[in-house]
Amino acid sequence: MEGKVIVVTSGKGGVGKTTATASLGSALALEGKKVVVVDMDIGLRNLDVVMGLENRIVFNLIDAVTGKCKLQQAAIKDRKIDNLFLIPASQSDNKSIINASAMERFCKKLRNEFDFVLLDCPAGIEQGFENAIAGAEEAIVICTPEVSSVRDADRVIGILLSRSIVPRLMVNRIVPQLVERGDMLSHEDVVDVLSVDLLGLVPMDELVVISTNMGNHIVMQKDSMAGQAFRRIAMRLNGQADLPIEVPRTQKSFWKKLGIFGKKK
Amino acid sequence: MEPFFRRLFGKESSKDKAKKRLKLALVYDKLEVSDETLSNLQKDIIQVISKYFVINQDSLKLDIRRSEDYSTLVLNTPIVSAKHRGVST
Ligand SMILES: Nc1ncnc2c1ncn2[C@@H]1O[C@H](COP(=O)(O)OP(=O)(O)OP(=O)(O)O)[C@@H](O)[C@H]1O
Ligand SMILES: [Mg+2]
Repeated sequence: MEGKVIVVTSGKGGVGKTTATASLGSALALEGKKVVVVDMDIGLRNLDVVMGLENRIVFNLIDAVTGKCKLQQAAIKDRKIDNLFLIPASQSDNKSIINASAMERFCKKLRNEFDFVLLDCPAGIEQGFENAIAGAEEAIVICTPEVSSVRDADRVIGILLSRSIVPRLMVNRIVPQLVERGDMLSHEDVVDVLSVDLLGLVPMDELVVISTNMGNHIVMQKDSMAGQAFRRIAMRLNGQADLPIEVPRTQKSFWKKLGIFGKKK
Repeated sequence: MEPFFRRLFGKESSKDKAKKRLKLALVYDKLEVSDETLSNLQKDIIQVISKYFVINQDSLKLDIRRSEDYSTLVLNTPIVSAKHRGVST
């Protein structure tokens, strides 16, 4: 097997890296791929709780990288989705135990076992970031439509390009109402400024918060706009590169949907 | 304000303002030069100038000045004397 290693990164914290890693991982597994999501946020692990696997942890990434356990022992099987695995970060170990070259070797191993390896990068551009990008060939850069977030994305894209890692952009937490009345950067604005390939757009969706509370997969929620957006992004990652990018819109009212009153935009 | 009226009154939307600020911030970010780069540049410049002029190395000043539209590299050094051709190696 020759899997793909993709790092999910952003520069700025709290923009949705962990949410996206969990969601794209589960969506790809639902597409029938064998997937592992890896929490690279050593000391601040979160991917396990987002996936609802926090009480199944025995071994962690550091154990697997340093050879304290086998790869198969560190990869926790998902409760609901077949072919989906999580390698959790360690909560206690010192970050400096692993370095970029160790991660690079480890990613090669993972690539032999899985179709997709998604790395959930910590915020910032320090050592943890360096470790996370070391073994990756592609990157999903996440930003929200805010000045500070886009600026940090620009910085990260520059670093990725200098390491020959191909970045693609995902804009998260889009609020269509604000975009439509001119109070939020549109995805066109963001792409215009960053000049990078767009992978997908995800709206702000309170169901994300609810699923995260429950430790459920947002992509299994048919009525979630964000969940559906993640599924389309996963399809695009999984070979359907031409699948059109859906732009989040305000929910049309019943009458507008029927097209009886008012003209369509 | 509603977008329609905002446009009618020629008022800039908050996202237009955001985009302008963002673009400017990125331009500035890319112009930022580290102290190390600047001091390396200074050393190189002193070497080149010293081929042609005798200068007091300590009084040479190198600076980057920024304005709204562009950045300028400002070099300031008093010349002690000119070197004559053939003298420099
Ligand atoms: N599309 C969305 N709609 C609503 N809430 C969202 C969306 N995406 C993420 N969130 C929420 O935003 C918060 C931050 O998300 P997340 O933890 O995924 O970000 P992160 O980039 O991994 O943060 P950190 O940099 O701290 O690792 C979480 O509470 C998450 O539930
Ligand atoms: Mg995170």
